[in-house]
Amino acid sequence: MQVFNIPRAIKQNSNFTFCPGCDHGVAIRLVAQIIDELKLQEKTIAVASSGCSVLLYDFLDVDCIESPHGRACAVATGIKRAHRALNNDRFVFTYQGDGDFASIGLAESMHSALRGENITAICINNTNYGMTGGQLGPTTTMGQITTTSPDGRNAHYHGFPIKTAEQIALCEGTSFSARAALYDVKNILSTKNIIKKAFQYQIEGLGFSFVEILSSCPTNWKLSPKDSHLKIQNELTKVYPLGIFKDVKND
Amino acid sequence: MNKKELLKGNIAIAKAALNCGCKCYFGYPITPQTEIGEFLSKEMQQRKLAYVCAESEVAAINMALGAASTGAKVMTSSSSCAVSLMQEAISYASSDELPIVLINVMRAGPGQGYIYPSQGDYNQATTGGGNGDYRTIVLSPSNVQECVDLTYKAFYLSQKYRNPTILLVDGLLGQMAEPVEINDNPYQEIDNSSWRLDGANERPSRNIHSLEPNQNKLNRHIIELFKKYTIIEQNECDYEEYMTQDAKVILTAFGTMARHAKALCNYYREKGIKMGLFRPKTLYPFPYKKLNELSQKTNLIIDIEMNMGQMLKDVRLAVLSNARVAFIGKPVGDWLTEEEMIKAADNILKEQYASI
Amino acid sequence: MIKNFIISGSGGQGVLSIGTILANIFMLSNKFVTYSPCYGAEMRGGAVNCEINASDEQLLYIQNKEADIVIALNQTSFDKFISKVKKNGTIIVNSSLAKINKTRNDIKYIFAPLTQEALKMNNVKIANSIALGILSKITYKFSIENVKKAYEKILKNKNDLIQKNIEAYLIGYNYVQER
Repeated sequence: MQVFNIPRAIKQNSNFTFCPGCDHGVAIRLVAQIIDELKLQEKTIAVASSGCSVLLYDFLDVDCIESPHGRACAVATGIKRAHRALNNDRFVFTYQGDGDFASIGLAESMHSALRGENITAICINNTNYGMTGGQLGPTTTMGQITTTSPDGRNAHYHGFPIKTAEQIALCEGTSFSARAALYDVKNILSTKNIIKKAFQYQIEGLGFSFVEILSSCPTNWKLSPKDSHLKIQNELTKVYPLGIFKDVKND
Repeated sequence: MNKKELLKGNIAIAKAALNCGCKCYFGYPITPQTEIGEFLSKEMQQRKLAYVCAESEVAAINMALGAASTGAKVMTSSSSCAVSLMQEAISYASSDELPIVLINVMRAGPGQGYIYPSQGDYNQATTGGGNGDYRTIVLSPSNVQECVDLTYKAFYLSQKYRNPTILLVDGLLGQMAEPVEINDNPYQEIDNSSWRLDGANERPSRNIHSLEPNQNKLNRHIIELFKKYTIIEQNECDYEEYMTQDAKVILTAFGTMARHAKALCNYYREKGIKMGLFRPKTLYPFPYKKLNELSQKTNLIIDIEMNMGQMLKDVRLAVLSNARVAFIGKPVGDWLTEEEMIKAADNILKEQYASI
Repeated sequence: MIKNFIISGSGGQGVLSIGTILANIFMLSNKFVTYSPCYGAEMRGGAVNCEINASDEQLLYIQNKEADIVIALNQTSFDKFISKVKKNGTIIVNSSLAKINKTRNDIKYIFAPLTQEALKMNNVKIANSIALGILSKITYKFSIENVKKAYEKILKNKNDLIQKNIEAYLIGYNYVQER
């Protein structure tokens, strides 16, 4: 039974290469649906980054460039500004992991927000460095066991995790900053609305729009897909509350 | 002469970039090249072009990487220790085949060093300071007029070969003013419609990436890159010869050091020693073949650099066993003076010329 | 013939502006010329100097140890650059801000109260132009058209200032004769 059509912005015959139960697939599908709905396919340039999120360009049927690790927002800035200089109106978004956006690339991310760069950034937060096998990252929660925090994250030893959506909301150039999750159908639908809003804010030229998505990493969390989603629902949303932290239209 | 204006190398580079259609500049301040960014900030804002005061050189070169993917002409500028920060993206841009023009107005290193003049970045520029198998085109001006001419050429070659191109400028030249003529860009525009990222409109979507998990594809990609480098090496070697025709001793030098080397030729010619100069204008591709030919007619080559002997390696590779290769150098600080150079050259020449 | 010049003083004395004007005069006189500014870490009040080389032939050496003519606009630069004057060269010293003291007998000294002369014209900042006038007189005696053009290039549309500076230049030009 087919519940919904494959979006036009998804490449035909592409095989799912993420781990079973990983939310990247859902996130990319939502992005593709919104690209269809907002008729952006012909004018989009996507910026993929390092880590699992780089696989974006295997699935998304839009022009795409891979950026060096952490530099996606800088690369996107260059693309957006260059097209503006060429008198082209193009839609530019980045698709990054939490390590990429909020650790190695924090300077580029935050300064893009501070400049009010008219781009959208999507950050998949799965609380670890997934592609390298699950190490402690900027969003690893207190007590969380990873391959580089074998006894669990400890404030004294490892320091604290970053609440990215809240931090980006503090930047004056940010038009929209929100955190969403994909652990059930209701949240998948609300995530879609949030990403759509972030995209629309760019189209309206309001400045930097940002969506952090809490995502599962069953392989590195050593949990089943189902338990991974329960963990997001019951544990992660306590640490990383869902919601909209900045919206220039409402503030 | 009337069209000439007195310009610092830095300003001449900036003016030339604007004149040949540079649409985007991203930069971060560092002496001795800051005037490039200062000058362009006003001009580009007035022309509604892309100018970002980047948060770091890392961000600046990555903005350039993104901007280059749109097909727009893109430039960034920096100096030595900060160019080191850019190497990752240069490696990416080489694999991605993106045309970025990078101006490196050199200061002294290693590390922070200081703003003294030096030619210490020859190795980094010509052999690639980043990871992996790749080459960047490197052009070396020796006067302010060439800062203009070679900026045009850097944009042209970067677009023609879809390859990062470095203008390697001596710090002295960035700061020094000479009369120059900002002539028209002599090069043709290169069509980039087959690869640029401007939206998948009535064509399949495009993908620019260096990541390649398939080792056969990665191998093929690098081999293709090197086929391109071979073509660059065959077609783009550029050099200046000064009184080499009958020369028994040939000096090799690049950038401003070559001017002093010319003066040395004049000095020794008066003393009856037939000396000439070979100056590569392209440091990559290095004109091995031409220097090899010249070296067959001489028995002494003296390489002169403001470093501890970086181009020397390429000179030796060109000369092979045709002639003896000697070196005069000094790492940083005041340029080698006439007296210092003559003293050093005398010592080298003594063995061959009893008259010295 | 290659001629090398050093102009030195402190920040705010117009060392670099007068250096640029001199370099422009050479350019307008169809000479080869290089102009290299040099300043310390201080943005204001620090030592400033610039070097100008001019020649009828292509300029090869662009950094020289010594100069044919040195202009020293204050005591510090007089002390610092006295040793950089070539044998048989000349140093032009602002005697308003430096003590008259001849420590070398292989060079020519021209002491001129540049600041006082400038103050007589109600503009302390044009002392540098008086020095340029002296330099012109003892070297190439530049054509006044080229001098005017050079000032116009640098000072753009500030006509009053251009006029004032040219007056100062001429005072300097005639100063040597009057002595």
